[in-house]
Amino acid sequence: MTHIGVVAIVLSVGLPLLALVIWSFAFRWTFPDLLPSEWGGSAWTYTFGPNSRVVEGLWNSLVIGLVVTALAIAVGLPAGRALGLSDFRGKTLVEWLLLMPIIVPPIVATMGIHITFIRLGLAGTYLGVSLVHLIPTIPYFVLIMASVFSNYGVELEETARTLGANRRQVFLRVMLPAIMPGIVVASMFTFLISWSQYVTTLLIGSGRIITLPLVLFPVISGGNQANAAAISLVFVAPAIIVLILSSRKLSQDSAIMGGFGRL
Amino acid sequence: MTTSADLGPSPGPQVVPARSLPRPQPTVRRLAGHLRIPLMLSPSVLLVVVLFGGGMLVGIGQSFGYFPTIGLEEWTFEHYANVLSDPAFLRSLWVTFRIAFIVTALSSVIAVGLALILRETFAGSRITKFIFQIPLPVPHLVAASGFVLLITQSGIIARVAAGFGLIDRPSDFPILVFDQAGVAITLTFLWKEVPFIGVVVLAVLQSIGPHYEEIARTLGATAWQRFVHVLLPLIMPGVISTSIIVFAFTFANYEIPLLLGVRSPTTLPVLAFYRYQDPDLGLRPEAMAISVILAIVSVALLFVYRRLARYAVQ
Amino acid sequence: MAIRSTRWLAVAASLSLVVAACAGAASPAPQSEAPGTSAAPSPAPVASPEGPPTYATWEEVLAAASGTTVNWFMWGGSDVINENVDNDIGKPLKEQFNVTLNRVPINDTADAVNQVLNESAAGVKTGGSIDLIWINGENFRTLKEANLLYGPWAEDLPNAIYVPWGDGAIDFDFGTPVEGYESPWGHAQFVFEYDSAVVSEPPTTFEALQEWIHANPGQFTYPAIPDFIGSVFVRHLFYWAAGGPEPFLGAFDQAVFDQYAPKVWDYLNDIEPDLWREGTTYPQGPAMSDLLANKEVAFNMAYAPGNASLQISQGVYPESIRTFVMESGTLSNNNYVAIPFNAANPAGAMVLANLILSPELQLAMADPDRWGWEIPTDPATWPADAQQQLASFKRGVATLSAEELAAAALPEPRAEWVTKMEAGWIENVLEK
Repeated sequence: MTHIGVVAIVLSVGLPLLALVIWSFAFRWTFPDLLPSEWGGSAWTYTFGPNSRVVEGLWNSLVIGLVVTALAIAVGLPAGRALGLSDFRGKTLVEWLLLMPIIVPPIVATMGIHITFIRLGLAGTYLGVSLVHLIPTIPYFVLIMASVFSNYGVELEETARTLGANRRQVFLRVMLPAIMPGIVVASMFTFLISWSQYVTTLLIGSGRIITLPLVLFPVISGGNQANAAAISLVFVAPAIIVLILSSRKLSQDSAIMGGFGRL
Repeated sequence: MTTSADLGPSPGPQVVPARSLPRPQPTVRRLAGHLRIPLMLSPSVLLVVVLFGGGMLVGIGQSFGYFPTIGLEEWTFEHYANVLSDPAFLRSLWVTFRIAFIVTALSSVIAVGLALILRETFAGSRITKFIFQIPLPVPHLVAASGFVLLITQSGIIARVAAGFGLIDRPSDFPILVFDQAGVAITLTFLWKEVPFIGVVVLAVLQSIGPHYEEIARTLGATAWQRFVHVLLPLIMPGVISTSIIVFAFTFANYEIPLLLGVRSPTTLPVLAFYRYQDPDLGLRPEAMAISVILAIVSVALLFVYRRLARYAVQ
Repeated sequence: MAIRSTRWLAVAASLSLVVAACAGAASPAPQSEAPGTSAAPSPAPVASPEGPPTYATWEEVLAAASGTTVNWFMWGGSDVINENVDNDIGKPLKEQFNVTLNRVPINDTADAVNQVLNESAAGVKTGGSIDLIWINGENFRTLKEANLLYGPWAEDLPNAIYVPWGDGAIDFDFGTPVEGYESPWGHAQFVFEYDSAVVSEPPTTFEALQEWIHANPGQFTYPAIPDFIGSVFVRHLFYWAAGGPEPFLGAFDQAVFDQYAPKVWDYLNDIEPDLWREGTTYPQGPAMSDLLANKEVAFNMAYAPGNASLQISQGVYPESIRTFVMESGTLSNNNYVAIPFNAANPAGAMVLANLILSPELQLAMADPDRWGWEIPTDPATWPADAQQQLASFKRGVATLSAEELAAAALPEPRAEWVTKMEAGWIENVLEK
């Protein structure tokens, strides 16, 4: 049973990615050839050449992803604590409100959001793009942190306070270490959601800010499989590094995701 | 390399006391001041309600025919009527529901099954667990293109089949992409959503530890009974909340069915997207009406599901 | 009015008269000299609060453009086009005019339309984020009718002398009068692509195609509408049904539509059971190249005669792919660039649009080893050496000759016909 499961996991995860790797080096590869009849590195030359804008997009995506993550922590941490530690009237309503960006198809809100951002002078700025990415990440960040806090022993804080710790010390020495694994996981989701945003980045970035999805998505529809595969892999690679960095937290600190939101 | 995780107790800072199992209701904690909770919630809630909710008003207005940018200023139900009377609408609603339902059900079941396997320690369990999580950061669109390369009638698997002499022509290979049943769509969603639910279930299973099951075993419970009566109630809250997100996401997604599905009948989000992208701006209100109906149906279904699931758990 | 050329109104009036009188018939381009040179000198660019700046002379445009960046939103799915634009347009733009090109890759022209639309809704009347859009006929009509374009300017470009303005094929974009609100940058023509290893003699009439499809079930299909190419195929059939494009060049007429549409739907429904996948579905446009390359089907279609040669050189197509057009002719149109009403840098955009029309750049675009495009300018107006160079080019291995293409060119119908044909296909073929 275990072996079947392991084989199923490895094959189903690995094969689509392997297909991308082989295709990224293919020059001419048609049915029924098992392997490309001609190999080439032109897709990779293009990907890292100046005209694909991949390197620029990579850099922008990285910076914006980090800013979004920082913003999400600042905004989402208190909300997660409130939802996880307290019961109050309207809690269910708050949870549903936070789910709105997932439930409502994005096209309903994009024009309105764009207009708001233009009026606020945020269009075409890094801050604007980061803020617009923040919207879809909030549900994930807050709901994950809510579940983390619902398993958090808040008594420790009281103990620390009776022992003379001030607020700052309680925050830094008691709460932060306890919820750190949860923050890492929630941050990973936040970063990855920001990493994949296309429509909002194009609109709010107004063409001044080129991120990786802006470069990748047109290429996927462009019909050149080798280029699409190569850029897809560039797109996935840093995301997998983020996963490696956070995977220990993801499955090790068991109770982090335990009550995930408890919607 | 910190590729994977240990099983058993965490060696890191023991942040979570063993007794802190997922509780059905969080304990009410004492917090100073009545304003504290609203203050803590308001940045997140305001961001979503003001920016997203405010943005939605424009779209909702358009669905009722208020679109001053192109000179439409009369409120009307006409676009809803048009959409609802389109024979393609009900079929598409059904297709949308079918895909979202199948994906949600299958990914929940598979995720629980794989999590049960992955919580054991075996040779290679660390790396397997890491591989299990790889799809999490891969965008849906990239996953979709990977599946296209793999399972179309002239894809890599078909080529392997041809190499073994199993098929002669692409048309001999089973139709898995652009198919009426939505195989490729379902596979791509499963590939993405199984790890999402699985990671959560795995975390719960590991926090539970073997203790409860051992008690049940000494009381003579079979493996199946232990699963149904001990584990399932404990992992259900996590499964319910992640599956709500999976259903909501799948129900509203247009990219995957657009890329991998048949042209007709397609899903409601795709129908909305076609109208949204049309050079004729007069079709925008219909795109919005479809999306609003979609959101309402989604909320209604999720509400019922949440009720039923909670009832079943209790 | 963007460029206050004193002669502009007269030119426009005479143009529309000429066009109305003899749609399609070539007439001498009214401009005998670059308009900027004859315009009376006037004050420096005016940045009015109500809209973008306007310019009186080309020298003013050049001066205003120098040191600026042009944000050009264009479809970014082709590595070849991206590289060519950056190298062949971006570099000279910087070197000769000190204008920096910011090529913004988009997935769909609708993305750019949304940008302009939302900015308009937010009251952004100047300093908008798009300076230039590579635009298609339907979206041009949308933006023009919504008064979201800057202009008119196109006929006042110095290099407009190389453009056959006054020819119906240039003056109308999908039936919408261009009137100087967009400038051509490429010429496109619809061709069928086929695998000569599978099809020895391509069917060059729709009757022959129908027979071929029935004789070779599963080997033909066309992209599902709203795919652009699928839509062209259906339009092509309307021309076949009516014996030519004429009925569809004027305003939409339901009676005329009803007269020809049944024949088209009958044809498409007749071939449907013998299409790829027995007609149970129709592929997305980009998937068609793979279907052809992998011999799942024997035909593809492209709105670029040089596409097949390019795909062969890119390793996407096998070397046996060739192209053909129908004996009764084939649809053609021009690619244009337009400036949004609120462009921050219309001067830079005009400098770019002008550069594209220079014989030097048009040569690069016509070169099968570089762009492999058809060009909208008239080489007869070029300097002699440029003409010689053009004549020396060898066509791509799968590209039809310029003469053959020119002889087959048919105009596109008016955009409102396209909308009805697409809706009709969905109702009568897809959802029947």
